[in-house]
Amino acid sequence: MVLCLGVICLFSLTGCTSSTDSPEASTAVLRIGLDTAPQHLDPRFGLDAASYKVSQLLYNGLVRLDAQARIVPELALSWDTPDATTYIFHLRRDVRWHDGRPFTAADVHYTFTSLLDPETQSPKRGSFDNIRSVDVLADDRVQFVLSEPFAPFLSSNMTLPIIPPPREGEAQRNLDAHPIGTGPFVFVKQEPDVSLHLRANAAYFESKPSVDEVVFRILPDAMVRLFELQKGNIDLLQNVLPPDLLSRLGEDRQFNVMKSPGTNFMYVGLNSRDPILRHVQVRQALAHAIDRQALIQHVLHGLAQPADGILPAGHWAYEPQVSRYAYDPERAAQLLDAAGFPDPDGVGPQARFQLQYKTSQNEVGRRIAEVMQESLRNVGIAIEIRSYEWGTFFGDIRAGNFQLYALTWVGVTDPDIFHYVLHSQSIPPAGANRGRYVNLYLDALLDQGRRATALEQRRAAYSEAQAITASELPYIPLWHDTNVAVLRTTFTGYSLPPAGDYRAIQSIRRQSSDRAS
Amino acid sequence: MRTVVLRRALFILPVIWGVSTFVFLIIHLIPGDPIDLMLGETASTVDRGALRRQLGLDRPLWQQYLTFLQRAVRGDLGRSLHNRRPVSTLIGERLPATAALAGAALVVAIALALPLGVLASLRPRSWLDTVSMLLALIGVSIPNFWLGPLLILGFSLHLGWLPVSGRGDGSIAYLILPALTLGTAMMAILTRMTRAGMLETLREDYIRTARAKGLVEWVVVGKHALGNALIPLVTLIGLQGGALLSGAVITETIFAWPGLGDLTIRAIQQRDYPVVQGCVLVIALTYVVANMITDVVYAVLDPRIRFESE
Repeated sequence: MVLCLGVICLFSLTGCTSSTDSPEASTAVLRIGLDTAPQHLDPRFGLDAASYKVSQLLYNGLVRLDAQARIVPELALSWDTPDATTYIFHLRRDVRWHDGRPFTAADVHYTFTSLLDPETQSPKRGSFDNIRSVDVLADDRVQFVLSEPFAPFLSSNMTLPIIPPPREGEAQRNLDAHPIGTGPFVFVKQEPDVSLHLRANAAYFESKPSVDEVVFRILPDAMVRLFELQKGNIDLLQNVLPPDLLSRLGEDRQFNVMKSPGTNFMYVGLNSRDPILRHVQVRQALAHAIDRQALIQHVLHGLAQPADGILPAGHWAYEPQVSRYAYDPERAAQLLDAAGFPDPDGVGPQARFQLQYKTSQNEVGRRIAEVMQESLRNVGIAIEIRSYEWGTFFGDIRAGNFQLYALTWVGVTDPDIFHYVLHSQSIPPAGANRGRYVNLYLDALLDQGRRATALEQRRAAYSEAQAITASELPYIPLWHDTNVAVLRTTFTGYSLPPAGDYRAIQSIRRQSSDRAS
Repeated sequence: MRTVVLRRALFILPVIWGVSTFVFLIIHLIPGDPIDLMLGETASTVDRGALRRQLGLDRPLWQQYLTFLQRAVRGDLGRSLHNRRPVSTLIGERLPATAALAGAALVVAIALALPLGVLASLRPRSWLDTVSMLLALIGVSIPNFWLGPLLILGFSLHLGWLPVSGRGDGSIAYLILPALTLGTAMMAILTRMTRAGMLETLREDYIRTARAKGLVEWVVVGKHALGNALIPLVTLIGLQGGALLSGAVITETIFAWPGLGDLTIRAIQQRDYPVVQGCVLVIALTYVVANMITDVVYAVLDPRIRFESE
């Protein structure tokens, strides 16, 4: 270490000028730390959370979801639905692309036709194949006709960011390299996997963002993200610090630690085709044997809310009257006995049966697995934890090669997610019913919820669907993550959205004393 | 000398072929479908099939292997499955960062190890020796993922002398902590080897003769002893040089250093076959070339080897 010090002193004398990337004082620059780089800046291709969050700043959809997941207009001023399969959007006429060209209905037409073109090979095409036609009725009017009624059309399809068509003489725009949108921020430059620079769109149709520039820095190591924050090189970290590192910031007056209930939902996935887990009593016993409160308290440092289903309390379709599974090892043991899995030696070391629990190499995920292993041992269930790198783990889950696993659903907005994760037509490869759960009555309810256009009809269908999933337990609900943002106190005006995205950074202001040079 | 170089150069082809074949098989045999990882879970079966066909992943493995070999012979490493960019471009963007990091780590390791090892050997069992060997023991025992954050905490956060992470404007200040983190283990090994080599050499008759002739001590140590003690070190530096390139993964992740290791790990996680193959090919090539250079330097330093070969 002494020698290290010597070497560093030597280098410091020769080359070190300034260790921080301090922005020019006259320009309000907000520096945000990300854990992973956005994979695509072309919204037709980006599936990862980082791409989604950055795209929201560069582009706009026809509509967007507000903080309560309600649909509000964005590029559309309003819309008519003459029948259950036709939507006519009236577009804003005061919107310009970042290159100065006016936004028109032709841009909307191009966005959806190019997405649906098989040649484009968009991974999102399957989610939009209910669109039968897109027609430009006027410069400021566009009509969508669907092949059948699809209630989540607005929330799921019309939030897609609108992109500009290629320029004359150009086959395709390379939006991954040079994105052009209508959003509150304009792309400046990027260094792949290192940083992404945006500047405020002075001509933004809502209002110019308060900060002048936004710089995203990609910092894969959580500890280094914290160090960069403490060093003064990062101003905002949102949902990218593990709970144990967050506790180190508790008393630091340089930072404002904000918390708000989130929509990301963590659950234990169960393989319904497994000879042990196909017994509903076993699934219920597992739910009773897992001590969620202890997990939230000790592993997540209190940063989660216990969940009884995918939808968070407060969601318009949330159903509170469902079966709940309090921590109750005795009840769990009774259910296991009733299911035909008696404990062979009472309190002895022998287990009723063994299950394999798969997890990724995420540190918090592994700790959660270990605590669950201990909880389940108390009721006579032996758990073998298998931790894999993401590609292998995800491959096994998709292939149904698992008994138990834990994962998080990110961005839960429309209750149609139930169709995606529980409908018998959604068994992989064409969906995310990874547990291979089949319930034809539930299928009918989910079809009904998807087709009904009246909100009350949808609410009724999803209420019953939630009651069924809570008693059948095709998955075990654990919790909804709490969103946590750490913002340097030199910035104000931020309110943390439930979805944990960055749309609200438009309102962040740097305090005037810090703007002065 | 030419024979030595030619003989070693001939070894490159079979080694590179063997490594690339092994990696091709391994990456294709481990679980995880690149189509799943690219398209997520919303894509239809038809779209999955279309993309699989377009990327050639629907063809038998042996056909994919032959295509890979044919392209590789022409110097074409293919395109990334994920962003469709040429693999050679991706590697070209990352290689300079890794080369700079590995080079700096090598310099740090040698610059620290030689004086430490020599001083320890000149005063065996003294406090100097004990301290040097203790440093070597600590250096070889500390894992990178612990040392890196520790150095950041000390020199960036508390002392404020150096940046925390990234490459910044490319100044040397950004290189120091990653280079120290990566070079410490190698420094520790080289220190022990230098000490051992020097202790053995200092007992040789010609050293006694040099001293009897009245040569000053620094000439005896610096010219006659160190020159001979360096020969086994060259082999070790050659081997470790290749290891630095491939072992930079953890250091690059900690310091957000945009290098080849980071690219390789990401490609493995995404099952981006062409990128994994390209990266491993470059790493293997570096190993082989480093070994070849080692052999040549060895022959230059030790005439006995040169004459034996010829």
